[in-house]
Amino acid sequence: MAQGRKGKLNYRCPRCLMREIDMDMLYDRDRDEYYCLRCSFIGDEKEIQRLNAQFRDKYRDRMIRITDF
Amino acid sequence: MSEFYLTIIHRPEMVPEYIQKDAEQGKKEDLTRSDVLQESLDIFRTQQQIAHENGLRTTIQMTYASLFNAEAVAIAKEHHERFGDEIGSTFLGIQCKEFREKFKSKELAIWLFSMDDKRKIVAEVFDKFRDVFGFYPTSTGSYYMDAELVNYIKEKYPMVRAAVATCWEEGPKAYWNANNSWYTLMDGGPWNPWIPSKRNIHCIASDQTDDIGIVAIPHLSRDLMAVFDGPGSYYGTHPQNILRGMVFEGQELPYFQNIVDQYRAMQKYNRGYAYNMMFVGPGWMSKGGRWEADYALLLKSYRDGMAYYSELKQQGKLQDLTMSEFADVYRANRPYTRPECTLWRDILYGSRRQMFWYADPWMRFCLDMNQGGAMVDLRPYAAKLVRPCGVGTKANQDASYPFLVQSLYRAGYFTHYAGEGAVKSCKIGHAGEQVDLCTCRTLASFSEDGDTRIITLDPVTIEFADFSVQVQSIFRLAEGTGEVEIIRRVFASSNPEADISIDEYITACYGTTEYPEDLTGVRLSLTGAGVSESIDYAYQCREAEIENMQSAEALIPQVDTRLSIRTEALAAGYFREGFSFSPMYTLGIKKIIKAEGELRTWLKVAKAS
Repeated sequence: MAQGRKGKLNYRCPRCLMREIDMDMLYDRDRDEYYCLRCSFIGDEKEIQRLNAQFRDKYRDRMIRITDF
Repeated sequence: MSEFYLTIIHRPEMVPEYIQKDAEQGKKEDLTRSDVLQESLDIFRTQQQIAHENGLRTTIQMTYASLFNAEAVAIAKEHHERFGDEIGSTFLGIQCKEFREKFKSKELAIWLFSMDDKRKIVAEVFDKFRDVFGFYPTSTGSYYMDAELVNYIKEKYPMVRAAVATCWEEGPKAYWNANNSWYTLMDGGPWNPWIPSKRNIHCIASDQTDDIGIVAIPHLSRDLMAVFDGPGSYYGTHPQNILRGMVFEGQELPYFQNIVDQYRAMQKYNRGYAYNMMFVGPGWMSKGGRWEADYALLLKSYRDGMAYYSELKQQGKLQDLTMSEFADVYRANRPYTRPECTLWRDILYGSRRQMFWYADPWMRFCLDMNQGGAMVDLRPYAAKLVRPCGVGTKANQDASYPFLVQSLYRAGYFTHYAGEGAVKSCKIGHAGEQVDLCTCRTLASFSEDGDTRIITLDPVTIEFADFSVQVQSIFRLAEGTGEVEIIRRVFASSNPEADISIDEYITACYGTTEYPEDLTGVRLSLTGAGVSESIDYAYQCREAEIENMQSAEALIPQVDTRLSIRTEALAAGYFREGFSFSPMYTLGIKKIIKAEGELRTWLKVAKAS
């Protein structure tokens, strides 16, 4: 199998991110797939972005400007 | 003029932690790699330019490595002349070819060296700084500056009056977040600037004799709710940290402005004063992007952050000060006993949750309104523990200030199946039923009565099988007493004949991490009129109770702390020893009332020795 390298963006593992661990992933060019050294996640860029969007969901106020304190 | 002060810090870090790591991929380490040095300098220049374009002054904290770079030195001198920026020094970014040759170490954290090495490095950094600039710096910093280090700096370089000294709640959570590889274990300090104790940097100085001689500034202004339960490096006045936490959509992160505004609102709790600090290292604005964010977004987020500060300044709502200027302003209006208070509200998760944070020379604590005002964090500053860190010390990397209560590290109200967790709360009981206020979510308001700060919680309704009552909690904090007065008021009972018990308790332990510490030797005692009971902790599940109590106390020699609760009411006092699966101790005060009434108690932490 090919040597893992840094991808075009330095994606963190989205599954580890869910448990608040910043874990850089490696990219396998032959399979066009990112993989995590820690939790066995594999996925392409689209899958990572889908899970990252899920991660953001916990921040219900992320796009709300709050001024009343 | 607004008393919302802002300190912006930039550092020319010639070998930024993150950029160097990326540059190394597939290559051998090379601290002199010219592309890294040039990129880092470009980022520093860009950050400075953004600040100045927005009419904001900065503190340039020269790293040791940058003192050998003529271009970095020239920029600092020019910006000091042209814009009035302060040139300070930092112990971040010490690693470079010259350091490696001189000290033969790859250590990057100043607080983790041996004391002997710390002294040598301080001399090297400060003397090199003077050689380059012709004067000694008046501000310095790192992620953490231990008291022993600062005491030494003050002894040798008394002109230093400000330092970035901790990063708020950057402890086990940050370690976990960084795949257990980021050794900034430094929980337990104040979230806003303070005058530290000579004995421990986390503690607020009690008086002039205890004053370490600098004003300490926390590294960034953090979200006081999100960071209590999450990685510090996701939530604060650091746009790229916010990107790291993914608190944004598209190109926008309104959360940054929300944090700034909530910090501005701290003026309500602190006699008109509020503070913000922004300190983004160059590694966070790498041309290659940082994790999922590309350079364009990193840059935009930084520009937007500065633009917001600039807007506030133009509206007269903000003063930008350099570190040393801020230290002078802070000291000019800061009695030692004045507490720092904040009723923080959720600005992230869409709940209405509030947490009240309090810090003074005696203690730091947090009340969680989501748990009926339960105390979920308690640090005994009164103990002023001498707890050196670094090579050759017992603590070594663990620079945190110990807690007696930390409800996330040690369970709090909710435990799995057995045992008790660390929390201070109250149970209301009737005829075999008992309700813990931890289960009664509410909101709070802040007020002042002279020098007493008051947190008043909205009443909660407790429903027993055959009747209901309302309970209101009030916390009164009289400045300079080192005590928390807690009032539990029971009213609006639907059964005027019902006997109701009020059980005010604290379940505590001690430690700095999630893992239990040995409680052997902790002494639990009760004192009443002519009667007393005490035991030495041995995990034997023992309990004792006395009528007409005066005080209940835990002496915890491991953290040189005496924790006590007392009341002036006719009430019973008790203590409870834990067991190995529940390594806690509990102190409590119980009173029975008829339908309505109140229990007033006081909690105190003191130095034991």
